[in-house]
Amino acid sequence: MIDILLELKDVNYKYKNNLILNKINLQINYGEKIALLGKSGAGKTTLISILNGTINPTKGKAKFFNRDFDKLNFDQKSKLSTIWQDLRLIEDLSAEQNVNCGLLGKEGFLFAFKNLLNIGSFDKAHNYMQICNLKKSIYSKNIRKISGGQKQRVAIARSLIQESDILLADEPFNNLDPKLTSNIKNLLLISKNKNKIRVPNTILISLHRLDLLDGFNRIIGMKNGEILFDLDKNKLKNFHLNKIY
Amino acid sequence: MNKLKLNPASITFLPILVCIPLAYELLINFHIGGIEIFKEFIISALIPKINNEIIITLIKRFNETIFIAFSSWLVSIIFGIIFGILSSDILYKFLSLPIFLKRFIKFLLTITRSIHEIIWGLILIQIYGINFSIAIIAICIPYIAINAKVFSEQIENINLKSIESIKQINGLKFSSLITLLWSPVIRTFKNFGLYRLECAIRSTTVLGLFGLGGIGTSIFLSFQTLDFKELWTYLWGLAFVIIISKAIFKKINLFNIPKKFLFNFVIALFCISLFSISFFVYFIFNKNTIPFNSINNLMISNYSFISYDFLKLFLDTILLSLLSTGVAVSFPPLFILIFNNKIGISIIRSISFLFRLIPPPIVILVLLMFNYPSISLAALTLGLHNAAITSKLLLGNLYTQDKNEYIAMQSLGLTKRTSWLFGLFVKQARSYLAYCAYRSDIIIRETAILGVIGSVGLGWQLQESLSSFAWEEVIIILFAYSSIAIVGELINGKIKSNLT
Repeated sequence: MIDILLELKDVNYKYKNNLILNKINLQINYGEKIALLGKSGAGKTTLISILNGTINPTKGKAKFFNRDFDKLNFDQKSKLSTIWQDLRLIEDLSAEQNVNCGLLGKEGFLFAFKNLLNIGSFDKAHNYMQICNLKKSIYSKNIRKISGGQKQRVAIARSLIQESDILLADEPFNNLDPKLTSNIKNLLLISKNKNKIRVPNTILISLHRLDLLDGFNRIIGMKNGEILFDLDKNKLKNFHLNKIY
Repeated sequence: MNKLKLNPASITFLPILVCIPLAYELLINFHIGGIEIFKEFIISALIPKINNEIIITLIKRFNETIFIAFSSWLVSIIFGIIFGILSSDILYKFLSLPIFLKRFIKFLLTITRSIHEIIWGLILIQIYGINFSIAIIAICIPYIAINAKVFSEQIENINLKSIESIKQINGLKFSSLITLLWSPVIRTFKNFGLYRLECAIRSTTVLGLFGLGGIGTSIFLSFQTLDFKELWTYLWGLAFVIIISKAIFKKINLFNIPKKFLFNFVIALFCISLFSISFFVYFIFNKNTIPFNSINNLMISNYSFISYDFLKLFLDTILLSLLSTGVAVSFPPLFILIFNNKIGISIIRSISFLFRLIPPPIVILVLLMFNYPSISLAALTLGLHNAAITSKLLLGNLYTQDKNEYIAMQSLGLTKRTSWLFGLFVKQARSYLAYCAYRSDIIIRETAILGVIGSVGLGWQLQESLSSFAWEEVIIILFAYSSIAIVGELINGKIKSNLT
């Protein structure tokens, strides 16, 4: 088994002459639960977009399974899933159709086609939606017609149904109330959960709320596009947090 | 000194200035030679002819009309979606295909769209002779291109972030692509596709006026024999078909088809596409092309044809488009403002329905009963027909929007008209103008209809050149038509993007 799943080496990212990320060196190992902290604009979303291969670094190397992203095979690519800050659900599809989209990496064209025609199987999607505390009444509702918190959970269910090895989540608790936040956080961080679903072993979650750090074993702090600290959860002190906030 | 600043609402009323030259020319061309016939035409609307023979003809003609309209609508929607996808960026981004393919397809679609179905019909008649299939093909050619443009514009609106997220899921490219495209395609079909059926019925009727079958042929024959009672039987029948077709489509929700039939329904659509392609290929290669012996004929340039007269016709066509657009844009808000009460609005609705119903060639022939042929008369006809369409949209949007501002204006003591202007119309002016910009694209293409029946512009010359099989002249006229339509489309595209 390869321990290092994701690796960034001297990564810079520039957008319109602004340096968004500066000399980022990062390794994400198998089984780690990482919290990514930093103020808005610190570069967390850009870092996640580089980690999942959506954007390429301007300088430096990004590797997944010790390979460049463009050299990954189909199986390797499907071992990574993302929950986006802006959710990126597909408008006009129902909640269950959106969750089923998470299975596109495993199923064939006929599945995609049946999903769009609403004649496919939704059993698995319903299972994941239930685990994400979504009520049955919203399963078939158009994604435009459900609340922000419900959309957030649809996005989480869509990424979990991918049954990937690593999950990158950009502020996934944004629209959730405290109880739901706690439920979903427990679902993501406790691998052997009672729901008997496969939750990714390795997780990186960007956060704003410091009260949610329980359950993580590694904390990364970012400011102005740089990693200011990267340490074990137990070693985190207040002065670390003062550096980034 | 303060600069004059125009907002969308005031711009909407500005084109009313076209009425000055229009009114001047119409007044000096006025005559009373056909006033008695005109009276008879109007009275006949109330007492249409109804007997067994005419009912049988009506049913037979409507069978043809509905068959042509429905077939051309269905084929043009299916291929409109296919070409819409092929001419949008997303396919090339997703599959990493060379972008020149998209540009080439877009170019072909722009050319085919710029030429009106009447012109395609006339050309095909000259090449293949009168044939039932010609009406379907003539409508399909520009309709596919028009539908493709609308579908492509909607597909281009797909958020790039959705593309990234679906790519991240790492599914089969084709599965991911269809998942992304599904929503905008279905939404566009619901909002725009069904309206195109009504357009197809109108186009079939207009093609019928030129002998391509359906109710249009009967309408034209009745008009030629001045049998107005029979003519109105057909026109009211047409109104009935349009209203019924809309009602049926409102009732039948295609997306509520039982799940067990839905898959078969999609398979049926696929079969129709395959059949259409096969039929088109068979039609092109297995028919006797009467005078169209050599493609080389098209390549012989006849420069002597491009004379002063040709340039005059070219400029007349542009002028006709501008004047008609002025009428189509400014008449609806102006008349709604003036006759702003329940009875006034009902009368506007009824008159606009009639102008949508009666094909423009018939309208101009009626107007010729008391006016000599001129650009103004053609512009008024085309303008009124399109004003009837823009007024339907404007009325629909005005009275379904939130009326809070209107109520607030009235409570301030403003008059009903001022409250309407500032409380209702101002909110709609921008989107109304954007739609009018799209409508003027259609007006440019429609100038051909009036030209062909002998009024003004290049259409008249096209009819002459087609009748004498002067293919090199036809090519030059088509090139001229395309140029006007493409330049118009570019200008209107700029206006639309500034407004939205």
